[in-house]
Amino acid sequence: MLATPWICRSCLSRIARPLFRRHIRFQTTGAHTKSIPPALLTRARDIASAHQQLTDKLSDGFDTRAAKKLGEYSPIVNALGEWDKANESVTELTSLIHDSATDAELRSLASDDLSETRTQLAKASQSLITSLVPVHPFAHLPCLLEIRPGAGGSEAAIFAGDLFRMYQAFCNRNGFRTNLVKYENVNGTTEAGVPLSEAILEVENDNAYGVFRSEAGVHRVQRVPATETKGRTHTSAVSVHVLPSLQENSAAEQDFDDPESDYYIDLKEVKLEVMRASGAGGQHVNKTESAVRLTHIPTNTVVSMQDSRSQHKNKEKAWALLRARIAQSRREKREEEMANMRRSVIGVAKMGRGDKVRTYNWGQQRVTDHRSGTTVHDLDDVMEGGQTLENVMESVRGWLMERDVEALIADDDGTK
Amino acid sequence: MPRIPTALVRKAHAIDAFLPALLAPCRDMHAAQNELRWLREHVDKVAKARRARGDVLAKGALLQKLVKQRASGKPLQYLLGTEYFGNLVIGCRPGVLIPRADTAASITHLVGLLRNAQSIPPELRILDLCTGTGCIPLLVQHELYSARKDVDLRVLGVDISSKALKLSNDNLQRLRKGRNYVDRGKVQFIKADVLIDPFTDQMEGSMSLKAALNYKSQPPFWDILISNPPYISPSAYWKTTARSVRGFEPKLALVPPPTAKKNDTEQGDMFYPRLLEIARDVEAKVVLLEVADVEQALRVAQHARHLGIFDGVEIWREQPDASTEDAIEDDFAIVGNGNARSVLCWRGAGTLWLGKSATIPQEDDAQCLFRASECHFYGGAVRPGGSSHLDAQFDRKAFFGFPETPTLKR
Ligand SMILES: C[S@@+](CC[C@H](N)C(=O)[O-])C[C@H]1O[C@@H](n2cnc3c(N)ncnc32)[C@H](O)[C@@H]1O
Repeated sequence: MLATPWICRSCLSRIARPLFRRHIRFQTTGAHTKSIPPALLTRARDIASAHQQLTDKLSDGFDTRAAKKLGEYSPIVNALGEWDKANESVTELTSLIHDSATDAELRSLASDDLSETRTQLAKASQSLITSLVPVHPFAHLPCLLEIRPGAGGSEAAIFAGDLFRMYQAFCNRNGFRTNLVKYENVNGTTEAGVPLSEAILEVENDNAYGVFRSEAGVHRVQRVPATETKGRTHTSAVSVHVLPSLQENSAAEQDFDDPESDYYIDLKEVKLEVMRASGAGGQHVNKTESAVRLTHIPTNTVVSMQDSRSQHKNKEKAWALLRARIAQSRREKREEEMANMRRSVIGVAKMGRGDKVRTYNWGQQRVTDHRSGTTVHDLDDVMEGGQTLENVMESVRGWLMERDVEALIADDDGTK
Repeated sequence: MPRIPTALVRKAHAIDAFLPALLAPCRDMHAAQNELRWLREHVDKVAKARRARGDVLAKGALLQKLVKQRASGKPLQYLLGTEYFGNLVIGCRPGVLIPRADTAASITHLVGLLRNAQSIPPELRILDLCTGTGCIPLLVQHELYSARKDVDLRVLGVDISSKALKLSNDNLQRLRKGRNYVDRGKVQFIKADVLIDPFTDQMEGSMSLKAALNYKSQPPFWDILISNPPYISPSAYWKTTARSVRGFEPKLALVPPPTAKKNDTEQGDMFYPRLLEIARDVEAKVVLLEVADVEQALRVAQHARHLGIFDGVEIWREQPDASTEDAIEDDFAIVGNGNARSVLCWRGAGTLWLGKSATIPQEDDAQCLFRASECHFYGGAVRPGGSSHLDAQFDRKAFFGFPETPTLKR
């Protein structure tokens, strides 16, 4: 008989349960990593043994710092445990199948289970990777999508409006709450076909940054503009920036006063200008000028806001936007520094905000993402913010995850 | 008014058919585009409200009507029915002056100083004379209560106009909904004519402030007096005010009534002597009066100084919170950025509330101190609490070392 009463179904389904439901949706998406890079596995094992040591230490007496570390490590240790179990099962099943002593009935049972167990292993690998890759520091925050036309004149401005509506529709379908922070076009409507000069859409849900991070970069459109008389296809571009949203009461607010934080801004370094009715002012005039402009002097970041009739609201919005831009650029600068360090170790591909990330081709009715290499053909569904767009975004999140893994490995190599 | 260039009109038309009409009142493209957007948002809101009641609304027709009215100069605030004042939304109606952003800036700055004040009385009483929409009492309440839980406010707004009183009460009711500080303190509005001298015989109709306070069982003493009275002289009314102001806002709110033997400037200044008299009678410790320009500010400041009851007088510009070097004119500190907009006076406990150090606002006093002998303050008026005042000066003398000229300190 068998030495070990190997895997029962319920154990398998326990392995299959996603470990971190909340992150699973946004982080461990379609990455096709079947096996774990050895470097990561080593890292996980190191952490597991450190975890064990800390546990021993804690049994002697309480230590807040050790307890905190323990809390950080335990998802990794759990994921490793699940992975080990799944891995063991696969090994066991495989050897069972190959063992000539196994009788036919058992062999067929085992091979039935093998494919399923392999799937569990792949999932466990994914969870383990997720637990190791540091979560992006802004991932838990709401976000701002800034959409601006780039090269391509009014066609670019029209496409900017199309992208804006695409994201708005995507949010509506997926239950994301949005708030229009700024919408500047010529006549104040959000109709299709009206050139857009700038739009800022806030997605208020927590974790929105993690979801929309995939959208940052230059989006290219190839189509025959409505205004084109000779039927020529034009190529234009629209840039999308994704910033953490730092409205008051946001999760990051507690860091506003901490000079070490990305969100910190020294009030003395910001120049506030408010538009004033010219001339005598006071009772003599009744036209209000509500526009507000903030300048962060050290970085020369300028934010102006005039959407609301309330100067007070404009000021609030301008501050939130200024914080978001500065936090994002500080973060990007740091990421770039890290990437440069890694590149000297290993050639890690990098995508900056100036890189072309996606092409929308009307003639071929396709959308291609240049990072994940995914091409989809239901252009209309993408532009309507449908499932096809979600699939593309998902593929990019997977790609981002793989980059994070590469970076992690590169860091490991770099420190050795 | 200069004509709008045809090229601009054409450009506006290319953008939106409604835009050219708005260029006339707005004067520039950006402002016109903003106003058009706000009008559209308003129409959408109205349409939505109607739909909720089962009605339909021809949005295009309403927008067209509003644009036409705006093009004729009717203020946007009367069309939309509201104006923002600080971060409050204040209801507006024809017949009552639209609140101004400058006023909100001064009030916000004043309350900002009071937020950190030590030894504020547990019930702080604030009188707002010529209250109009009631915007000042409502903003003071909003700003102070969001910062201080230890003070109860009693704010009284006074106006001569029935339309203003109706509107201010409506505004009070509207803001009450959804606020959590309703039950702390009081905001009230009463009718009175602040120009009537209580000691002359009472005429038919309006009551003097003193009589009205008495009649409405209001306290006779108030800690802070604020007023944005009519301050435009008849000639400035024709020369300086915008057409939309002249054409659509009540003259009663802008130009003091004509009186025999008063010239143009004196008529424009008419409210201030009365307001300062009232400040003295109600024993106000802080007084904030809005003014038209730096000349009027200096006249009011001089007048306040000569009354001899204040420990300090300074002038605020439109953005009193802007951090700039204070200018000094006629020995008054002028604070902030923009046109001169109000005069602030303080005395006694008010000095502490505002975080001011006691100073002598008068050159004469400095000369008195040089002589180190007794002298008459403020043209002979005897000032209550004069000794502490002197002590403060001596401290300053010790600190700066003579012969430094005493300057005003904020
Ligand atoms: C310039 S408005 C100020 C309104 C309001 N405080 C504001 O800042 O928007 C002046 C107000 O004074 C009122 N008023 C005019 N003469 C008055 C008088 N003799 N006594 C009391 N109020 C008067 C007018 O009705 C008007 O509402």
